[in-house]
Amino acid sequence: MRVTKGAKIATGTALLALGVAACGGGGGSSSGGGDNPRAATGTVYIRGCEPQTGFVPGNINETCGGTINEFVYSRLVKYNSDTAAPELDQAESIETTDNKVWTIKLKPGLKWTDGTPVTAKNYVDAWNYTAYSPNAQLGSFWFGDIVGFDKVNTADPDGPDGPKEAPKPETDKLEGLEVVDDLTFKVTLSAPVAVFRTKLGYTTFAALPEAFFKDPKGFAQKPVTNGPFKFVQWDHNSQIIVEANPDYPGPEKPKVKKIVYKMYKDDNAAYADLVSNNLDFTELIPPSALAGDKWKTDLGDRAIDGQQGVIQTVTFPLYDKEFGGNADFRKAVSYAIDRKTITDKIFNKGRVPINGWVSPIVEGFKDGACGDLCTYNPAKAKEYLAKAKAEGYTPPAEFPIWSNADGTHKEWIEATVNSINQAFGPDAGVKFVHKDMPTFAELRDTITQHKIKGAFRTGWQMDYPHIENFLNPLYKTGASSNDGLYSNKDLDKKLHEADTATDPAQANALYQEAEAMLQQDMPAIPLWSYGLQAGTSKWVTGVKVTPFGVLDPLSIAIKEA
Amino acid sequence: MGRYAIRRLLQLVPVVLGTTFIINYMVWQLPGDPFAGRCGQRPCPDSYVAAMRDQFGLDQPLLVQYWNFLKNLLTGNLGVNFNGVSVASELGDAWPITIRLALMAVLFEAVIGIGAGVLSGLKRGGFIDNVVTISTLFLLSLPIFVTGYLLQWLLGVQLGVITPTVTDEATVPELIVPALVLASLNMAFTARLTRTSIVENLRADYVRTAVAKGLSNRRVVAIHLLRNSLIPVLTFLGTEVGSLMSGAIITEGIFNIHGIGGLLWRAILDQDYTVVVPVATLLVLVYLLANLLVDLLYGVLDPRIRYE
Repeated sequence: MRVTKGAKIATGTALLALGVAACGGGGGSSSGGGDNPRAATGTVYIRGCEPQTGFVPGNINETCGGTINEFVYSRLVKYNSDTAAPELDQAESIETTDNKVWTIKLKPGLKWTDGTPVTAKNYVDAWNYTAYSPNAQLGSFWFGDIVGFDKVNTADPDGPDGPKEAPKPETDKLEGLEVVDDLTFKVTLSAPVAVFRTKLGYTTFAALPEAFFKDPKGFAQKPVTNGPFKFVQWDHNSQIIVEANPDYPGPEKPKVKKIVYKMYKDDNAAYADLVSNNLDFTELIPPSALAGDKWKTDLGDRAIDGQQGVIQTVTFPLYDKEFGGNADFRKAVSYAIDRKTITDKIFNKGRVPINGWVSPIVEGFKDGACGDLCTYNPAKAKEYLAKAKAEGYTPPAEFPIWSNADGTHKEWIEATVNSINQAFGPDAGVKFVHKDMPTFAELRDTITQHKIKGAFRTGWQMDYPHIENFLNPLYKTGASSNDGLYSNKDLDKKLHEADTATDPAQANALYQEAEAMLQQDMPAIPLWSYGLQAGTSKWVTGVKVTPFGVLDPLSIAIKEA
Repeated sequence: MGRYAIRRLLQLVPVVLGTTFIINYMVWQLPGDPFAGRCGQRPCPDSYVAAMRDQFGLDQPLLVQYWNFLKNLLTGNLGVNFNGVSVASELGDAWPITIRLALMAVLFEAVIGIGAGVLSGLKRGGFIDNVVTISTLFLLSLPIFVTGYLLQWLLGVQLGVITPTVTDEATVPELIVPALVLASLNMAFTARLTRTSIVENLRADYVRTAVAKGLSNRRVVAIHLLRNSLIPVLTFLGTEVGSLMSGAIITEGIFNIHGIGGLLWRAILDQDYTVVVPVATLLVLVYLLANLLVDLLYGVLDPRIRYE
């Protein structure tokens, strides 16, 4: 899960700007056709934002940094921009017989931008560095599956708030990583993980060159990389420049010479630049332009409409007697939400109602995991509410759904609570309301401390395109993002079975069974999946957007003449 | 006057100390852990949180933190922000742009506002007066973001006269439209304030005396009338400099200008107090100095005002 902050800054003004935007219909390019100003320099300009951390893949967990890092680092596996399927990238082969011991062989002749070869040792060193807890890397937990993780990564006995410090780990090398030769290394997991191959495409699993270990801090600002583009320059808060890497070995080469990652504070500003062809790509079309599909008239064939692996859910604090409800109450709420009308009216069909807990674009997705529970049905909602009460649950008179005021959630949550209240009727004895906490940080703080009084909005942006990523981190007992403290032994067992299955097809089937089991308790209510709205300037062509909602840097090309 | 200026400057010290302490205290009191929201829906690794808290001294008591802040401020070491970027260099990049923008805006306010105010005040009820009254009414009723988006859309997207956003260099020609937008509201205030002041003073005894002495019309207006009428306007413009520097968030957002407003806005959202506190401190200083300058200018404009 990556933090997405881009959209929220602009929204306050964006909605107000609607009035202005609405009278702009039919606006189009201003400068006349003819010469393409991009052709001379081979440079394209895309919307960006300031990364929170530097260019160290193991220490990145937000989109601003994640996007630009995708451009400069190649990993063992990459995801196909069209199908989201994992494909070998730097790896020549990734083999296993039991999903537990993985032998990874690199392609020969791969190079870093400083000329040194990419070796198995680079991968092993990088992973050891990230996992070692005194290095305090954000991505450390990704290596939790590997044998010996608890010896390199020690937990603080009383959490970061307590006075005690985390004990120093016994060693700084993961026992489960072994360099076989220059191009081969072996990974031993503590238990079989069916999706390990797919996971290897995530940012954190990139390698780091020797240069990194000499000066980690300096490297983060000026990295040596192995991807299709190489780092040139970073002007904080204004731009990052990368240029095509001449040594890039992939079959598809970069088609532009330079990409300027231009930082915008306001999506509207980026959009204005896009419409007037000063900016070549943005994946954040502001709400003012989405209203009434104005962006499609503005951009014409320059508009890109797609899907991305992000879903929206509402989660209940199952540890709280008052607001946790019981299963039938949560089912009643799910029946009471008119997903279709809300996505049509509030999001202009920019989001699609989902019928399960998994994004429709990932491997292993199966339609209808939610049964009819995710279909609007006021009669059933009332019926289940009565059932919930008969089972002894008395809902509080006022039931809040929480969100963060610095995001763009007010509108849809208000629509959702209206839908619930209408379906339940005036004498339901419970009234849903929307409540805000000022910031995302405060909301997350309250949730992770398990002090929240009410249901809360949750969104999940996939780390890698697989059904597993939507289940294990969210619904397994004690999982890192199991915010509602949901626990179901049968589900845990099923998930474990799926994790350890050696046949991928069988693993997927087991994950699907596990997903369907969520029907019993409805720990979280699925709402909709995010669409993707992007646009390009008239100077570029061939632009593809990945399932992660960012530009595929190899696809963008400058139009001839 | 010199002694007065020194006394005022000395008064700045406790004010700056007090305000920075309050700012530090308030930032500290903000609910939510600055590192809780940084990992999205996953809690951040404990080792990361502990390391960050240690690096920024968040585990120290408030007074110790404040002492460290003062020490660093006086030695000119602003440290790094939560993203590991030098705060001094961030300020160094953003500050000149904001100053340029604010000064240009104040210049527009002063020249256009005072000009329009004087013209309409002298010919009260005339054609120009009506034009100014109506156009200022129009400007006053438009919020800045409407003016901003409107001009950006009209001049940038439709007509292509300007680029919709400002480049990183933010040169003076590029900043003309943003500065006009920023100045629009207060230009109208300035015009109306000047007009009222002029109309009032036109009936004053000293103007009648000056006219009776047989002074030329130009001299009466420029030397006697204007100097006296500008005092309230100057007060207004002086405080403007401060508020323009901190209040340009909307304009900077619309035109993507990388100035102080945006820096502060982002830092507040991220709860990055390593940036918030120095910026707020700088703004306090700007306000205080601008006020001092205005007070000193009173004496220049009106000889009756003397400072001991």
